[in-house]
Amino acid sequence: MDILDQLGAMKDGKLSRRAFNRSLFALGISTAVVPLSTRRTLAAPEDNPTYFTWGGYDIPELFVPYQEKYGELPNFSTYGATEDALTKLRSGFVAEVSHPCMSDVPVWNSTGLFQQIDTSRLSNWGDVFPDLYSYDYNMADGKPWMVPFSWGLTSMVYREDLVEWEDGESWSLQWDERYAQRLGSLASAGDVWWCAAIRAGIDYKDIGTPESFAKVAEVLRQQRPLIRMYSDDTTTLDQALTSGEIVSSLLWNSSTLYLRAAGVPVRFAKPKEGALAYVCGLMLHKDAPKLDRAYDVLDSLISQPSGEFLLNDYGYGAVNRKSFEKFTDAELDERGLGRDPVTILAANHLSSPQSMEWGAATVAELEMIKSGF
Amino acid sequence: MSGANAGTGAVISARPATAGRLSRLMFRHEVLRGYTMLAPALVIMVLAILLPFVLMIVMSFWDQVGFDFDTTPTLQNYREIAEKPIYSALLLRSLWVSGIATLATVLVCYPMAYFVAFHVHRHKMLWLIIITLPFWTSYLMRIFSWKVILGYEGVINSGLMSIGLIDAPLDFLIYSPGAVTLTLAHTWAAFALLPIYVSLEKIDRSVLEAAADLGDSPLVRFFRITLPLSMPGVIAAVFLMFIPTVGDYVTPTLVGGPDGAMIGNLLQVQFGGVNNWPMGAAIAVVMVLAIAVVGLCFLALTALFRRWAT
Repeated sequence: MDILDQLGAMKDGKLSRRAFNRSLFALGISTAVVPLSTRRTLAAPEDNPTYFTWGGYDIPELFVPYQEKYGELPNFSTYGATEDALTKLRSGFVAEVSHPCMSDVPVWNSTGLFQQIDTSRLSNWGDVFPDLYSYDYNMADGKPWMVPFSWGLTSMVYREDLVEWEDGESWSLQWDERYAQRLGSLASAGDVWWCAAIRAGIDYKDIGTPESFAKVAEVLRQQRPLIRMYSDDTTTLDQALTSGEIVSSLLWNSSTLYLRAAGVPVRFAKPKEGALAYVCGLMLHKDAPKLDRAYDVLDSLISQPSGEFLLNDYGYGAVNRKSFEKFTDAELDERGLGRDPVTILAANHLSSPQSMEWGAATVAELEMIKSGF
Repeated sequence: MSGANAGTGAVISARPATAGRLSRLMFRHEVLRGYTMLAPALVIMVLAILLPFVLMIVMSFWDQVGFDFDTTPTLQNYREIAEKPIYSALLLRSLWVSGIATLATVLVCYPMAYFVAFHVHRHKMLWLIIITLPFWTSYLMRIFSWKVILGYEGVINSGLMSIGLIDAPLDFLIYSPGAVTLTLAHTWAAFALLPIYVSLEKIDRSVLEAAADLGDSPLVRFFRITLPLSMPGVIAAVFLMFIPTVGDYVTPTLVGGPDGAMIGNLLQVQFGGVNNWPMGAAIAVVMVLAIAVVGLCFLALTALFRRWAT
């Protein structure tokens, strides 16, 4: 029966009860079925795994291959410091893929929350620099606990026009009385403690000793009156650098590219003592409910386009060899990077795994120092 | 057949009997009726407030070992709180900051509430809505807007610079305990305004007239009649604002800077990066006790004031 006929029949009062019920029935079924039909073409959020990461990695540019395959992004959950992230995971939050750093692997593993990664399921694994994952604590039976995703340096981002160097670029800037209350800093111990250790002249091999602990704490206490703001939120630090509220801050180099593009004369320092080097990567939850798609998240993050985006927009080192092809040596140098991760990492100070107790103690001590005690 | 009928009859008659007994029981015992009506709230209170509170107290006597708890009771956490200066200093600063913020808010809100209660005669609801309109925006947005107002290139600084009063931005405006106090005072104002308004609104106007007839000047009348009668609202406002703001950690995080940190910030990191939950529980217990002590002192003061006023 045509819809117009039906409407006409209704108008004339000729629509039988049976025909009316039949139409209602059809309407009911089609309404109930609508969500089912779209589900097939458009994946719902509950189909996608969750990627637990720093704010700033929750963007489509890093998921080009994943989007091509599923037409959707994974779900995101973000944190400001890896210590917080681990606490959240330990209290029962399940995210398929998490994003700590290589030196966190032993502590994170000790929670028993992660599984080894089957690299045969990653199509881009062959292009990943082996030096970035072949640490003995990361590999067991040829399988890694962590797939590397980015590497780079933590150093100072400073205003070229407001800072005068006395003796070349050096960590002394962050302790310079001339700039009291005009210095900023990241807030997490993972960066602050390790950079202060460089300033204190401590070899990273000995960073775990009580003497080194006391030395670093002392250096940080000296610095505290000079610091205007501690923040894990790079936007806050970026804005303060832009307005000239601070002249320098402990930061990652993504801020340099971002601020230079906005016309702010900033530079990423290459301190003569060396900068803090890091390799960060991805770990897989042992109970990952969407394991198959989680592997696609991993594969997408280590793909060539993701690496190109990291290098181009954030200035972080990519782990995929092919990602470097598009860049000139000068462009890489501007980002404090090079074509060979090994040289860069060796020329700076790469953080190394420490005990869980040590990590917690540094966080607690840093909180004391930040509050002025 | 008849036997079956008798059986059914018995079942049917049993039902009204129990229902009747229950309603008779309810009717006779007022206390029982009260508890029945309270039951939903009581269940939530016990499950969501009392049990976690007991757990928190118990946990504060534990010790964190790596990722696990050592559940042998120890006073170690409390000893550390007593010995290390950071805890008492941050606690005192928190009490001070939110005490000042509460005082300022009540002082500012009282005249506003007074005006609406006594001098607005039409569209009172509209006035109340307009006054509380800023509080329809998110708490976080209000803090951020203070950041914009107080900031280095913020509204105040750029305003003062453009009229030539200052050459360089004032950097004490933001990232200080003062900024936290100001932001708290503004973001919580609605919680002070409404209880004060309600208690003022309820004052019997004939009492005020009587006071005037018997020769009280307006000022004396205010202190002898209006203020004591509106005291319940003031007390409610003080508690509604003081208790939650002492433990606030969002405001100090955003506008406090290193010198404006409060006990809430220290508490939060125990459950986050530091990962020492027993210590966090102990700090929370001490904080609750401190608030209780300050609250009792305040109640004693108001009782003294009432005795003096009457």
